[in-house]
Amino acid sequence: MKRRRSLFIHLSYIRILAKKFAIVILFLTAFALMLLNKTESVILEKTSSAAADVISPAVDLLVVPARLIAGVYDYFGEIKEVYKDNQDLRAENKKLLNLYDKMKVLEVENKLLANLLNYEVPPEAEFITARIIAEEGDAFSHSVIAYTGGSNKVKKGQVVLSDRGVVGRVDKLGNMYSKILLITDINSRIPVMVEKNRVRGILAGDNTSLPKMVFIPLDAEINVGDRIVTSGVAGVFPSGLPVGRIASVEKNQVIVKPYSNLDNLEYVRIVDYGLEGIISNE
Amino acid sequence: MSRRLQSINDRTVMQDEIAENVKGYFQRLSPIFFSLFLILLSYVPLDFVLSSNIRPAVGMICVYYWIIHRPDIFNLFSVFILGLVDDVLSAVPTGTNIFSLLVLFVLLLNLGRFFNGKPFIVTWYGFAILSFLTFLCKWLIVSIYYGQFLPFVQVLFSYLFSVTAYPILSLFNAFIQNYLIQDEA
Repeated sequence: MKRRRSLFIHLSYIRILAKKFAIVILFLTAFALMLLNKTESVILEKTSSAAADVISPAVDLLVVPARLIAGVYDYFGEIKEVYKDNQDLRAENKKLLNLYDKMKVLEVENKLLANLLNYEVPPEAEFITARIIAEEGDAFSHSVIAYTGGSNKVKKGQVVLSDRGVVGRVDKLGNMYSKILLITDINSRIPVMVEKNRVRGILAGDNTSLPKMVFIPLDAEINVGDRIVTSGVAGVFPSGLPVGRIASVEKNQVIVKPYSNLDNLEYVRIVDYGLEGIISNE
Repeated sequence: MSRRLQSINDRTVMQDEIAENVKGYFQRLSPIFFSLFLILLSYVPLDFVLSSNIRPAVGMICVYYWIIHRPDIFNLFSVFILGLVDDVLSAVPTGTNIFSLLVLFVLLLNLGRFFNGKPFIVTWYGFAILSFLTFLCKWLIVSIYYGQFLPFVQVLFSYLFSVTAYPILSLFNAFIQNYLIQDEA
């Protein structure tokens, strides 16, 4: 009885202390989480992914009604443009058919030349299409959450593409949802090159909508409008994926405008090129 | 017969009490649930030109509103939960949003009395001041974390957007608050 009473006194004392120092304890918790994050703790990453798997369906539920409301407004805005869009699409289709014929010829030629050189063709890339259910873009980070539906093809570090080019890479893996770090995020670093002269550099995000190309040789010839593609260095991304165009060349920085419209991503492709690179899954 | 009536009466009173308790809990928890709803809503992707660059700090707005107007039902634990959910959904280092909301909470503990019960314009002005300090702290802590300064202009835009969004979001919060007060009275 006496033991029970003393235990009760101890517990109530602890409770009073906890109440008194609650703010300090929570501040310390926040700092501890940040430190764990900095050390790239596997436990924290797994817990965070599991928590995202729990919370993300709630955001997913809100997407449909929100898009419906936005869609009604867009519908009336777009209805005027339908005739013009139709004409543009017909013209584009003609162009694409021509290109398709040329591509077929080149494909055959490529196969023949590859056979001549005894070239080992790399395995074809596998991909899954994922729906974006949440987006985040402010001064502190740029990311999206995609519904991957429990696919075991998705791995950490894989490249994410839109219909126009590179969007980012898989950052955190959940069971059903994955977090994708956009190329504009401050943590994003992608090896890229200028397509025409193969000048290499790193595309570094800085939480603005226009990432910068850094670590470029001083004598490199770079002009506004040049196409930027992935260089394939480090083996995380394959080479030749379109990223963007040079938007401006200033004394200290080269600014790139991404091809993909990161403001309204609805669906993305998460592509497995079979490259392990430097990002491990653990 | 009278005993049976008595038992039915007791049961009805008990059911009423349970219903009343559930209602009470729901009313007390509605600010945190509504704030969570607003935070989740802020992550919904919209085809909006600025949406990938600027987002109002919904967590800050909700914490400020509820601590100013109903500190009795919105406590430190609620602040922590909002920060945690924001951290899980966001790509910022885990703990950053918890830290920034706790900073706002501490500021409100010390300065909140100057804005409590004042006209809306004064409360808004208060939010503009305290959220600026909170944004500044968040900017500093994230910059220290990454070992490089984040572009301050972006932070300034986020801050201005949050201050602009405050009246609209506080209108939604006020609707919930009025509903609560009406029922509690």
